[in-house]
This record gives sequence, C-alpha cells and structure tokens, in this order.
Amino acid sequence: MSRALLAALALLLAAGTAQAQFRIPNLDVNRLLDSAKNVAKATHEIDQNEEIAIGRDLAATLLGAAPLVNDAALQRYVNNVGRWLASQTARPDLPWQFGVLDAPQLNAFAVPGGTVFITRGLLERMKSEAELAGVLGHEIVHVVKKHHLKAIQKGAYTALAGDALQMALKDKNSAANEKLVSLTKEIYTRGLDKDDEFEADRVGVVFAARAGYDAYGLPAVLQTLQGMNPQDSGLALMFKTHPAPAARLNALAAKMQATMDAWADQPQLAERFRALVKVAR
Amino acid sequence: MRLLLAVALLVPLLAAAEPATLVRAAELKKEPAADAATIVELPENTALEALERKGGWTRVKSASGEGWVRMLALRFGAPGDGKKGESGLAQAFNAARTGSSGTQVTTGVRGLDQEKLANAQPNPAELEKLGQFAATPEAAAGFAAKGKLAAHPVEEVR
Repeated sequence: MSRALLAALALLLAAGTAQAQFRIPNLDVNRLLDSAKNVAKATHEIDQNEEIAIGRDLAATLLGAAPLVNDAALQRYVNNVGRWLASQTARPDLPWQFGVLDAPQLNAFAVPGGTVFITRGLLERMKSEAELAGVLGHEIVHVVKKHHLKAIQKGAYTALAGDALQMALKDKNSAANEKLVSLTKEIYTRGLDKDDEFEADRVGVVFAARAGYDAYGLPAVLQTLQGMNPQDSGLALMFKTHPAPAARLNALAAKMQATMDAWADQPQLAERFRALVKVAR
Repeated sequence: MRLLLAVALLVPLLAAAEPATLVRAAELKKEPAADAATIVELPENTALEALERKGGWTRVKSASGEGWVRMLALRFGAPGDGKKGESGLAQAFNAARTGSSGTQVTTGVRGLDQEKLANAQPNPAELEKLGQFAATPEAAAGFAAKGKLAAHPVEEVR
C-alpha cells in the first residue's frame, strides 16, 4: 500500500472519528481533549507531597459521608495493626493513618497518600486480627501501587478527574475543592479496575504474611462475604466496586495457595481482636 | 442453675457452627495438615457444618464425622443455595425511615451507602481527629511484638 493511500486512509478515519464525536449532543470535544492532556500532565507531575495533599481532601469527603466510630481504643488498635503492616511495604514512610467509619455497611477504602478506612459493619463480621490484617493489607496495596492515581491517569474516570487534579495542584481555591469532592464520589462509587482488585488480594495476603499474621485472614473474610446474601443492602456499594467474593477466592486459590500455606501457622490473634471489637453476634 | 449456666455457655459454641458446602471433592482429615490421616474422601456438594478455622483448614461436622477440610474447598451456605438472609440492614433502615414510632431520623442513620456518598461534604474536623489516632512505626512494632508477630520477607506473586 502506498504511503499516500495510507495517509488518505488516516485522514478519512480521523474525519470519521471527529464527525462521530460532534454528533454526540452536549459534548464539548475541545474541553474533553484538554482535560485528557491535563490528566496525563497532572498525574505525571504528582510527587509524594502532592499525593498526600490530594489524599487529605479525598479522606475529608469520605469522612463527610460517615464519621469515625467514637472509640479511641478501637481507632488506636486499628492504627497499630495497619501501621505495622505498612512498615513491611515499599512505602513505609508515608503518613499512614487508619480509621473505622461509623457505618453498618461492609466496606473498606484506600486513599492516595496513606489513609485507609474500614467500616464498623465489616469489622463486626470479622473473627480475628489476622482477618483485619488481610483487609487492611488489601487496602494498603492500593496505596503502595498507586492504583487510584494510575486509574485517573488512564482516564478511567471522567474529564472531571484531570481538571480536579490540575486545579488542586495549581492552587487551592473553592472551585478546586468542589471538583475534588466530586472526584472522591466518582472514585469510590465506581471503584478500580478488577485487575487492581485481584492484585490487591494477592499482595495483601503477602503483606499480612510479612507482618507475621496467619496468611488466610483475607480469604476468611472473603468467605464470610461470599456466605452473605448478595442482595444484602450492606454489601451493595462494595459488590458494585469489587469482583464477586467467589471469584476472588478462586483467584487466591489458583495463585496464592503455596504462599498462604507457607505462612498459615502464624498468629490469628482472635482474643486480642475480640477484646477491642465488641459485637453482638 | 448450674445446668442453666452450662447451657448458656454452650450457646455461643453452637451459634458458631455455620452451614457450608464443599465446592469440590475434599479429604476429611484427622488434623489440620496435608500429611494428617484421611478419615474419608468427601464428594463435591457435601453439606457440612463449619466450626472453626486454623490456617488453611476448617474444622467441620459431616455425616461421616468430625474432621478438617481445606478451607478454600468450602463455601458458606447450604448446597445449591449459597445465600443467606438479609443481614437486617435494609429492614432496619426501612423501619427507621418509615418508622411507625414516628421519630424523626437523621440521615446519619443510613451510614455509608452510595446515596450518602453522593451527598457528602468534606468534614475537616473528623480528618483532624483521624490524625490523632495514628501510630508511630515504633509503637506499631511494640504492639506487634506483644502479639508475637515476627516480620520476615515474603515475595510478591504476580
């Protein structure tokens, strides 16, 4: 095929694409393209301090949806478990902080920069510290591997994400804050790529094992979730944003059996967990 | 009285037993170990009662007696069912919202669902509180030592 013909074809294709775009009503193509550029630029330039600053805004919005459980001993306990796990990762120097959200739903959230939340509802379904370590380990992976930042960079969220980051990095004003609030909602109601979730399961098991916990903690929690009614309202948001527990269990069985068996005899610390997490079962 | 106490003590143990099903054939072992004696080979879809977990093994009660099966061969729920009842959240919320008691319910009762998240506004006061509970690496290491948790290298799996 001649070079001229190729060029002509490319032109035709480009024209076709542009036309298709302009046929979509109420879509500002230029703005979209600018935002796409912003995303690439913004995420490329995000250093650790900026990641932490953005994370604080996202965390504040999640805390606006549900406050912390009013139990200092419980909050300190979860921080000890989480901080110990985080110390075994490639990013031990982030300002790690962990919070139990006062919500009956079952969920956990990772925020860029080192903040992790777990709901009271999920904590109350657990049986041991090893199970808590498994779930916190999963969330810590999202932070260590920068899953959320990479999702924004890939354009997984709307143009909003690029704008929000760009504005937040330039200067803090009310418009930037508003966009960050919207970004938070979009990230945590749409969730991450399924591959990132499966990776967080695999590496979360590894982090728990490194920290000296029974490596079967995370699969035990997944088994509990799998045994619940998937229509249960307490699971709606988590099931919307994660692969089904059975699929996650199968993936762990396929790839992590050897690792989990090697570190299965480490402490579960069920007693220490029960002393802090008082539940009416 | 003593009998009553004995019964009361037994209740939590019984409550811990959960109906479960084998998703694949599995050996019922005498001990929670691969090299332990096999009591019987249980076929797929066997209904069991799950009692407790130790590492990768779950102690179960089966028609062939009690023993240990691979934890990952188990799914909670009766055979072909796999679903248990609503945990009560929906009912609790519905009751709270429509409430025959007539009490006004704040949105806070709903907890963290998609609707709550969609209407969230930043809460800087709670963020500040969050920071106060953070543990130093040294404190966390001391906490780990108390639990006899020993750190060691483990390779990531791709």
